[in-house]
Amino acid sequence: MSDHESSAEYPAHWGGGVSPLKVSYGKLFMWFFLISDALTFSAFLSAYGFMRHKFAGEWPIPSEVFHHFPFIHKELPLAYVGFMTFVLIMSSVTMVLAVEAGHRKNKKQVLIWMFLTIIGGFTFVGSQAWEWFHFITGTEAGHYKDLIIDGVLQKHQLVHGANLTYNEYGNSLFGAFFFFITGFHGFHVFSGVIINITIFIMVARGIMEKRGHYEMVEKVGLYWHFVDLVWVFVFTFFYLL
Amino acid sequence: MEFHDDFPQYEFRDQHGEAEGKTQRRRLWNVFWIMLGVTIFELCLGYYAATKGVDKTVLKVVFISLTIVKAYYIVYAFMHLGHEVKAMKWIIIGPYTGFILYLVFMCTVTEGTYAKAHRISPPDTKYEAPKEGASEATEAPKEKEAEH
Repeated sequence: MSDHESSAEYPAHWGGGVSPLKVSYGKLFMWFFLISDALTFSAFLSAYGFMRHKFAGEWPIPSEVFHHFPFIHKELPLAYVGFMTFVLIMSSVTMVLAVEAGHRKNKKQVLIWMFLTIIGGFTFVGSQAWEWFHFITGTEAGHYKDLIIDGVLQKHQLVHGANLTYNEYGNSLFGAFFFFITGFHGFHVFSGVIINITIFIMVARGIMEKRGHYEMVEKVGLYWHFVDLVWVFVFTFFYLL
Repeated sequence: MEFHDDFPQYEFRDQHGEAEGKTQRRRLWNVFWIMLGVTIFELCLGYYAATKGVDKTVLKVVFISLTIVKAYYIVYAFMHLGHEVKAMKWIIIGPYTGFILYLVFMCTVTEGTYAKAHRISPPDTKYEAPKEGASEATEAPKEKEAEH
């Protein structure tokens, strides 16, 4: 079949100038990137679930590990994680409002909502650092465990907090998964904040205005909502269950 | 070579006026209230389960289904996938769902059955939540007894 025939059969599609998906190149590939990233996170979380069931007897209960809250010296199970989830959902809403303002080409509102999103992102990363600090420091009482240090079994060692090889809370994999999953997600949030700041500066300098559309805000918005989406799953599988 | 893109500018397709913006914003805030409600309910249920104790299977089903509800709202309302054309929706959701179903199948049926049969039994000291004020003196003799 020659080129001429095929373009005669499907003039609208093979002649060019038509995009069947009706999205721009940049947005489509942001979606493709997000799918691959989502698969990575799915693999982490399912590995977590698998190992948790394999070592069910010595796996800690998350609500007993994460019960700290800043400035309040009481046990509040999961309250701080709930606060972090709220911050991230809130920043997701401010981001989507920035995208909506971009559709109306309202530069001032885009800047306000994006600024609030950046604040929310920093709050979340800071909260995560605080939680890591408490996880690593551990409790004052600690816990006695049998450890293998330099290939030698050392019975009855007092362990405080957590590191990459062992932790006081339970199976050593619990600590490893905590650092890996929340760390990987936290790095996504951090890079999201950096990208948000970049786009914020571009909007403030009027680059989007010159282009005539605010699609870059929409693309970074897609990434930001994805980070929120991942946290919703981490929150359920790591903290609630 | 100069790159010349003469495709239609889909960036302009989504632009709208003030009136349309108002209805869209109301819809987005509604989604926010739903998500906030679901999260607060999850936290309350988690707190209740930690203090009173709820059946594990019920908890798992409730938490996972509520998470999928939240994920639906994020993807369809916040990420605007609900407004894309049908082919686009399928390209995003289809392959991902396929992979996830296989992953779940692997974790629960094939590898899961093996792991359950060869489950590593907990060591002689079972995990206990570190209690406030628990000192060396109270815990040490108990462990010693277990050794002998």
